[in-house]
Amino acid sequence: MSGRELSGPGMSARTMRLTRTILIGVGVLGLVLGAVVLVSKQDLPAILGVAAWMLGAIILHDAILSPVVFLIGVVARHAGRRVSKVVLAIIQGGIVTGCLLMLLVVPEFYAKTLPIANDTVLPFDYAARLGFMWLGLAVLTAGVCVVYLRVAGRRNVAR
Amino acid sequence: MRRLLLTLQHAVAVPTRNPRLAVVIGRLLALAFLVCFGTGLYSHFLQEPLPWMHFPTFPSNLYQFTQGIHITAGIACFPLILAKLYTVFPNLFETPPITGIGSLLARASIAVFVGASLVEITIGLLNTYQFYPWPFGFREVHFALSFVIIGSLAIHIGVKLPIIAKYWRKRDGYGPELAFDEEERAEINAPLVDALPAPLQKVPGARQVSGLTGRLFRWIDAAPAEGVVPLRAVDVAPDAPATPAVPADEPEPLGQSRTRASTSRRGFLVTVGVGVAAVVVLTAGQSFALLRPFNLFAPRVKGIGPQSVPINRTATAAQVTETATAPDWALTLSNGSRTLSFSRAELLAMPQTTVDLPIACVEGWSQMATWTGVRLKELVRQVDAGQSAALRITSLEKEGGYRVTQMGSEYVADNTTLVALTLNGETLDIDHGYPARMIAPGRPGVLQTKWLSKLEVLS
Repeated sequence: MSGRELSGPGMSARTMRLTRTILIGVGVLGLVLGAVVLVSKQDLPAILGVAAWMLGAIILHDAILSPVVFLIGVVARHAGRRVSKVVLAIIQGGIVTGCLLMLLVVPEFYAKTLPIANDTVLPFDYAARLGFMWLGLAVLTAGVCVVYLRVAGRRNVAR
Repeated sequence: MRRLLLTLQHAVAVPTRNPRLAVVIGRLLALAFLVCFGTGLYSHFLQEPLPWMHFPTFPSNLYQFTQGIHITAGIACFPLILAKLYTVFPNLFETPPITGIGSLLARASIAVFVGASLVEITIGLLNTYQFYPWPFGFREVHFALSFVIIGSLAIHIGVKLPIIAKYWRKRDGYGPELAFDEEERAEINAPLVDALPAPLQKVPGARQVSGLTGRLFRWIDAAPAEGVVPLRAVDVAPDAPATPAVPADEPEPLGQSRTRASTSRRGFLVTVGVGVAAVVVLTAGQSFALLRPFNLFAPRVKGIGPQSVPINRTATAAQVTETATAPDWALTLSNGSRTLSFSRAELLAMPQTTVDLPIACVEGWSQMATWTGVRLKELVRQVDAGQSAALRITSLEKEGGYRVTQMGSEYVADNTTLVALTLNGETLDIDHGYPARMIAPGRPGVLQTKWLSKLEVLS
């Protein structure tokens, strides 16, 4: 999409140009400031560590997470030919929500296997809670699907 | 290569990956980042103030609120940034990838933005778990990356401003067919790939899907079970040998296409909303009492620990168990050459004040508690300190970044700042700073010095 010159509604070309220049100027200043702070407070191995983590994060997202999501989408698209689109969207929503929570919670129960500062840090049994969360989410998703199908069925009968 | 990139763009194109949704999610994400940046700077300067800085002491739970928002908004960034990356994923395969210095810098700034953002929110989250699996300093890198993120975000907004401006207005929410004209509707409903510049769309092979991807989509778009209404796939190859129920070159009925795209968009937005709500509601109870009953996954819980207040550093970890319980312990207070010392019994014999103040940790958790002790401003008056006196505070801790801290005059002069001796009606537990600790309004927990040893008035 980059490379297209679109004019924004309510914004003259001059204002647009000026705003873009200011934003990019401020952005470059921010980048320089961030780099200066990083270099002044961390040594070379630590800076290389930050760069490696950033690169790793991009690779993790672009080369692993996104293709997996794409494949799930392919399966859903195939299933979508036999299942109501809305039901499919509800199921997808449930799975995505569960995966998001899992993303936050899995490091938590791993961290709990390491020595912790005291009993008030990571106090829950996170693995068990995650299991119950999936169970609850499955029941909730199924319930929403059932409600939707009943409502949709009544509408169809009414027509 | 170009054909491969175009094929990949088509392969990942779906109705939810369109510029309007990219703008809708993008501005929520930008707002969350700005909130994190603002509250993060506030927390940073509270801990490392510039000489001219003074901070509000009212409301006393200000820091509890700002840091709770900081951590909660950071957690909300996970679904938002993943949703944003999802909406723009086809851009990864943009072809040609680079068209000049400008486009090179734009793509580089996006790579920096994505990498820095993902690292920032990840290390921020893991810090709340007190889990540090990285080879760099958390505080320093978290601070530096915040400028990198805001900088690269500003550049990204600058580069994309025409698109952002075009798709900014709500008009009719997410039912664009109600207010947009036909051309705009077509563009909004189109996957990102279809909004490519026209010349690129004329590249031979641009509309074709072949090879593995082609076979995959032929499987996906194969005739459905009898009795099921077929849906035409966007990316089906015109020359595909399989016979879809609706031929690929036959236009899909407009109403059906709109309904399908609308369902996808609404489903996507509802999913993002539910995702954000789930991660916030199920964790924010560590920061906000209202959400405490829903706290299923936060690393901290209100109301647990000695005297029903959670702790970070124990007396054992701070190596103060002997010095803090020594019978000859005394708090030393000095102003220039004038020095006084107070045993715990002497402090208890002075006029006592009771206040309700929160312990609010930089990690986002907080706990309101009732503290009783000596008003700091009355204590420092005994060494003839003026109204604008600031303090250097030293703990019994053997080591640690917060063993020696400074307190600005606004906190010293505040009526609710105490040298606390009891907590929730009981003698301070040693893990809460026995024999005496500092408690002041609106300060991070790390600056509420435990196991007090020395107070020095700064000229």
